[in-house]
Amino acid sequence: MRLALLALRNLTRNRRRTAISLAVIATGTAALLLTAGFVAFSFEGLSEAMIHGGLGHLEVVRQSTADSHTATLERSVAEGLDDWEALQARIEALPGVRAAAPTLYAAGMASTASGKSAAFLGVAGDPVRERRMGFTLKLREGEALADAPPREGEDRVLLAKGLAESLGLRPGDRMTLLAVDPDGMLNALDAVVAGLVTTGVQELDTRYLKLHLASAQRLLGSSGASNLLVTLDRTDRTEVARAELLRLLAGHQPPLAVVPWTARAPFYGQVRALYKGIFAFLGSIVFALVVLATSNTLLMAVMERVREFGTLRALGTSISQVAGLVGLEALWLGLLGALLGDALGAVLIVVLNALAITMPPPPGAVDPIDLQVLFVPEAFAGTIVLMLVVLTLASAAPIVRVARLRIVEALTHT
Amino acid sequence: MENAPVFRARGLVKRYSMGDAVVDALRGVDLEVGAGEVVAVAGPSGSGKSTLLHLLGTLDEPDAGSLEVAGTAVAAMDERARTLFRRLRLGFVFQTFNLLPVLSAEENVELPLWLAGVGGRERRARAREALAEVGLGGRVGHRPDQLSGGERQRVAIARALVHRPLAVLADEPTGNLDSETAVAVMDLLTALNRSSGTAFVVCTHDPALIARAPRRVFLRDGRVVADERGAAA
Repeated sequence: MRLALLALRNLTRNRRRTAISLAVIATGTAALLLTAGFVAFSFEGLSEAMIHGGLGHLEVVRQSTADSHTATLERSVAEGLDDWEALQARIEALPGVRAAAPTLYAAGMASTASGKSAAFLGVAGDPVRERRMGFTLKLREGEALADAPPREGEDRVLLAKGLAESLGLRPGDRMTLLAVDPDGMLNALDAVVAGLVTTGVQELDTRYLKLHLASAQRLLGSSGASNLLVTLDRTDRTEVARAELLRLLAGHQPPLAVVPWTARAPFYGQVRALYKGIFAFLGSIVFALVVLATSNTLLMAVMERVREFGTLRALGTSISQVAGLVGLEALWLGLLGALLGDALGAVLIVVLNALAITMPPPPGAVDPIDLQVLFVPEAFAGTIVLMLVVLTLASAAPIVRVARLRIVEALTHT
Repeated sequence: MENAPVFRARGLVKRYSMGDAVVDALRGVDLEVGAGEVVAVAGPSGSGKSTLLHLLGTLDEPDAGSLEVAGTAVAAMDERARTLFRRLRLGFVFQTFNLLPVLSAEENVELPLWLAGVGGRERRARAREALAEVGLGGRVGHRPDQLSGGERQRVAIARALVHRPLAVLADEPTGNLDSETAVAVMDLLTALNRSSGTAFVVCTHDPALIARAPRRVFLRDGRVVADERGAAA
């Protein structure tokens, strides 16, 4: 006979009360698991959306540009990479690199024959590379850009829906782009609207347009690229790949920086901090509820057994052993409740994912998302530890009560 | 102190506060109990029987007077020493049996041995032996709620004796039993006293039990008013 076994058996004395306590703990555990799984899904979804929405995992850019902390969409071709093709070949030779795509950013004024005009933020790239990298724009109307560089006079663009609406353009319409080249000269480029797209970000859709690298180079009178965006086979290799790239590009003139996607996406950090705050808040509520509910239950269980504790003390059980018995009963409750909660959480995750529930678009996004809850192994283990801590806290008051019992009074307790 | 009495009490005083009132439960009790003695402590309710038993069992401390158990002054023992003393040298039998409901008869009897650090195999063997001695060899696996009142008290007696204590202190051990079972339990205590040499101090106000005891100490208003030895008149 061991104290732990006696404690476990004591949980069978009042089965209904034990079942209610286990249900409280299991529900709290499952709630935390679902929240953790949803938060993990949100983090993963957001990070992958940002990486494949045009950030890439890593950006190779001039050190001076990186130091100036300009936003990615404002990377100037004047401070860009002239030898991007040679760099691209070296980078793509590295294992784990899916592709390295040149990008050129061009900001200016778009105008139509009817006299409408609007500011635009142009992002130019190589459609073949971007497809390989998983960069996806949702095509709403028309057709995508052709893979081959367009010939002069045959330039085509994709307009974000918001920009197209403000210009009154539809696929097939003509427009003119005006931008300042690196020498300060104003250049113009006539282009046909190939299709309408959405970026997934509402604010960006009012300014965004996409064009082929060759078209943007014509517009800006440059053969360079603002940067090289690098995507990897796995997001979790970002830091390793960054170190490899820094070694590979050491000594390059002008000096180059390798910027991870997180440094170019402050929004992601803010969202992550917000979600973590929400999770901590919810966790503290669950924590408090379980502590209060189980503390009361444990105290009731102790008060009903005062005479028994007196008997144990009379027979020579030490105060620490009796207190340990109460503490172990609490720990058993916590462990069993958390295990039940883990099982319940796993079932609920499977069921929720199978239901394929559609959620409204997150703030700033335009597309609804499918609710998915991820299995987070750390959360499954963490909730067990958490519930053991919770029940240890909950057992504090009952333990103090038992430790302070006077044997004679306990033996005559009714 | 080889030949020291199991208990030697001198001028024991115990007072309880009940609100503003102070109740003198014991007013200077002298009592000596030798090894292997069976003593019935008798008296009406409120005479101080249970209080005396609690002091002898080191469950409570006197307000005045001295108490030695097996030659050691209780006043010199700290809480831990008293706990160890009870664990190794004393056994208790209560009116309401006070068995642990989640343990079988055998496991209840094992409890003092487990506290004393006796290994599992020996513990089980001795518990079964003790249960056999009280006539419950066939009920070792039964839980208290599967036993009659008399059987439960016999399990409690086996628990009190299994670790071979110096003395067993029994507080109204037959109080919850019918008269026939009460007599059987008292006979059992007497027989076990003879076979084990353990001293028994039994608090009771049951005349049948008092009559069977070889020594009878009568309390009234917290004082010993008679201390009789030999067969009851």
